[in-house]
Amino acid sequence: MRPPLRVWGVVGFLILLHFGLHLSLGLGESAPDLLVVALLIAAREVDIGRGAGLGFFLGLLDDAFSVLAFGANTFAMTLVGIGGARTRDLFVGDSLFFLTSYLVLGKWMRDFLHWIAAGEGLRESFVDTMLVQSSISAAYAGVVGLVVIAISGLGWETVR
Amino acid sequence: MPNYKSDANGSRRAQGGLVSSGFFVLSVIALCLPDPSQDEVASLLRGSLLRPFVLAQEGLVRRSIHAEGTEVLQGRLDSLEAVIANTNTLSEENDRLRGLLTLSNRNPAQYVAASVIRSGTPGSEGMFVLNKGTRDGVTNDSPVIMGRGLLGRVLEAQATRATAMDWTHPQFAVSTMTEDGSIYGMVEANPGRFREADRLLLDGVPFQEELEPGVALVTSGLGGVYPRGIPIGVVIEESDAQEGWKRSYWLRPFVSPGEATHANVLVSNDGELRDANSWSEGGAVVAGPATLPDETDSGTPDTEASTRR
Repeated sequence: MRPPLRVWGVVGFLILLHFGLHLSLGLGESAPDLLVVALLIAAREVDIGRGAGLGFFLGLLDDAFSVLAFGANTFAMTLVGIGGARTRDLFVGDSLFFLTSYLVLGKWMRDFLHWIAAGEGLRESFVDTMLVQSSISAAYAGVVGLVVIAISGLGWETVR
Repeated sequence: MPNYKSDANGSRRAQGGLVSSGFFVLSVIALCLPDPSQDEVASLLRGSLLRPFVLAQEGLVRRSIHAEGTEVLQGRLDSLEAVIANTNTLSEENDRLRGLLTLSNRNPAQYVAASVIRSGTPGSEGMFVLNKGTRDGVTNDSPVIMGRGLLGRVLEAQATRATAMDWTHPQFAVSTMTEDGSIYGMVEANPGRFREADRLLLDGVPFQEELEPGVALVTSGLGGVYPRGIPIGVVIEESDAQEGWKRSYWLRPFVSPGEATHANVLVSNDGELRDANSWSEGGAVVAGPATLPDETDSGTPDTEASTRR
């Protein structure tokens, strides 16, 4: 299957925006995780191999500044890419509820996998990290993802 | 949402499964790579694909510093002038006394001013990048200091960049002592429930010794990473986390990592022993290096600020 060029355009734009906000402007956690939004959007449009490849590449970029937990982002994003592509076979819907759940759960799952892979030494408490901080950032990413889908015209009619 | 698209071709499906399994295995390999290989990959990415973003942040930091109010900068300048004026007398006294004792001069500590860049990506908490590297004399384990005290240390120095950790990092630890050198201990990062609640814990103080709130602590020089005399923080209260015949104390660090946009890196002189005692000489903890970081970041030797002998 060949995803439309527009999908790659949106993914590229989100990657640039992510590093522009997080790295160049130094906004940190106040900026949404646009890499995972890009991955989740693309994963619905590409096959499982490309989803995994994109996740691997984006995770590696995220890991460039992660000296002690290097590989944790790569591991998490690769699995999210695979999972995102697999959801196309399992869920066909494009309702607002489905898309919101997909984006929010995708981001939460990415944080959860990162939390597991980061290792015990760097791991903070599950309640604070996953139930509080990750839930908030997942909701944030979900809202931003819906906005991106709505304005990018990716063909997801319900949101538009 | 496009219509449901199924991969009709079974072989393509199997191929996709194989490719995804391959990437999964690669991601596990990336996770298990030895540290030097991980550092190499990370350095390569930082120096290539992510370099434009890092350069953009450097430019923005520089601009924001230039935009800082002149009144604030004038205030800092006045404070530094006062410090320098006091230090000159001490310096003369010191030289005279050393002459009387026929002691040779200390090696002067040299600082390289650097911009602090934070990536803000998951897993990089407690880490930052400096825009100075081995070409400027920065080496692995070089202490990083801000105006009022110790910020952290360099983990990995490259030619033009260095990756460093601040005191909130879980692996941060420094041997410390009171300013008079009478009580020693080990300071470690103690993560709070949230990043904002991170603080320092002084551990290993003998039970018979007691520290009052407000006592300032400096690096002891033991361990060979941090030179003696860099201010770390002040004692707030005794911690309940004491074990055996040891006491523990909570510290309020002099430096807040969130404020760090510029820092000084203490560099060695051709491998000779560094000396940061000028920070704490004269009784009270001195509030910073003798000269401000060069905010124009010209990359010339002017960026190096030497403390007095």
